[in-house]
Amino acid sequence: MILFKNVHKEYPRTGYALQDVSFHLRKGEFTFVTGPSGAGKTTLVKLVTMEERPTAGMVRISGYASDKIKTREIPALRRRLGIVFQDFRLLKNRTARENVAFALEVTGASAEQINPKVLRTLAAVGLSDKADHLPSELSGGEQQRVAIARALVNDPFILLADEPTGNLDPKVALDILRVFKDINLRGMAVLLVTHDRTLLGEHPRARIIELDQGRIVRDTANGGAAG
Amino acid sequence: MAYTSREAFFAFRRSPLLTALSIATIAFALYTLSVFGLVWTNIDRVLADVEERVEVIAYLVDGTDPTETSALMREVAAYPEVDSIAYLSKEDALARARAELSDYSALYEDLESNPLPASIEIALKAGYRDAADVADVAARIARFAFVEDIKYGEDWVQKLDFLQNLSLFLGLVVGGVFAVIAFVAIGATINIVLISREDEIAIMKMVGATRSFIARPLVIEGFIKGVLGAVIALVLLTFTYSLLEQRVVSLSFYSPLQVAGGILLGGALGAVASIMTLRRHLATW
Repeated sequence: MILFKNVHKEYPRTGYALQDVSFHLRKGEFTFVTGPSGAGKTTLVKLVTMEERPTAGMVRISGYASDKIKTREIPALRRRLGIVFQDFRLLKNRTARENVAFALEVTGASAEQINPKVLRTLAAVGLSDKADHLPSELSGGEQQRVAIARALVNDPFILLADEPTGNLDPKVALDILRVFKDINLRGMAVLLVTHDRTLLGEHPRARIIELDQGRIVRDTANGGAAG
Repeated sequence: MAYTSREAFFAFRRSPLLTALSIATIAFALYTLSVFGLVWTNIDRVLADVEERVEVIAYLVDGTDPTETSALMREVAAYPEVDSIAYLSKEDALARARAELSDYSALYEDLESNPLPASIEIALKAGYRDAADVADVAARIARFAFVEDIKYGEDWVQKLDFLQNLSLFLGLVVGGVFAVIAFVAIGATINIVLISREDEIAIMKMVGATRSFIARPLVIEGFIKGVLGAVIALVLLTFTYSLLEQRVVSLSFYSPLQVAGGILLGGALGAVASIMTLRRHLATW
């Protein structure tokens, strides 16, 4: 599924962002990646999406290895990942329905395939009644639900979320976490990156990987020891 | 395909100001280029007309044996540079002088003897009308003993040569500079369009869009803008042309084929500028 093996990532100007990071995420697992800002969380996300490649070590995502994947194979990989960001990243001039449909249009799906799937997915995140609203007409929490629906609509094997609650107030943040938990209950793996420790307490059974200064300082799957 | 064409046209509604700006840039660039092209082709045409008149005239000694004259004509006609050759007898020369110089016709009235020499007029083929070739032909003909004098307007053939070279040089350099400026200007406006859509392109990459999926509507958009720009340039050019035609000087316009080619060129310019600008935006994934 997702395998990091002795991954180092060094940037020319800022130095090491990750050092000797190893972990393995299994099917259906709910994992938090946490740590203070600058710990390397965002770099880790970029390595999963293959936006960045490791300086040393290897990342393997669903059969694609970081040292072998070609640029033209990256779109296929991205379709297997559902990605959610802190700032939602919705297309401002398109409705919720169109934003979700966009992820399917990219794959070349036909309109007949797209419409029912979009409506089903919007229903899954509780937004059926707002399908025809523009992002500017939706609250932050609703916009993030649209983004989650867009991430889900391609049936990815994992939902990857980078600080998905960072722009939301605490109550809404918990609602969004609940959405992720529901999705996970239906069997989808979730990798949720957050610096917000209160979220961790809301999901005690989840695995927690904690980063600090680019190193894993805790991984609950390894009995809490550094990986 | 439905997605691609919908997207390409969507851009025009979504950002009308930016779209108008890039079409205007293309229109202005192509207009400048086409005005220059029109001026240049007209200058070139005038020069070509003048060049057609380049000829070598060999004046013959009075009383030259007609058999020698025809031998000379046969030999000269065989030169690869020679297009046509004509004999003008003394009488013909006088008749022409009377007709062409009617103001001075009194001079040619009541002449006891004809002062004008017989001559041979040699027209040269296109490509052999430059100063060096003309002088070379003249020199060869001058070797015949019964050729008294030879004229080919040495001064103005050289001037014409210079003007033609200058025109070609200016055509290539100035035209080339205009074309490059047009291309850079088009690229710059398309770059602005792409920067305004950077977020959107980033989202496309994130949800797994392929390079061609992202590029196709933008390239088509560039093509459409190029064609629209070219059509506007054509309208402006037609207007400029009729103004010049009425008030200043008679000019020849582009042929319909050239106009069609120009419009296609506009489209191609828009598409290629889009592709080149896109490469930068699609370099990382």
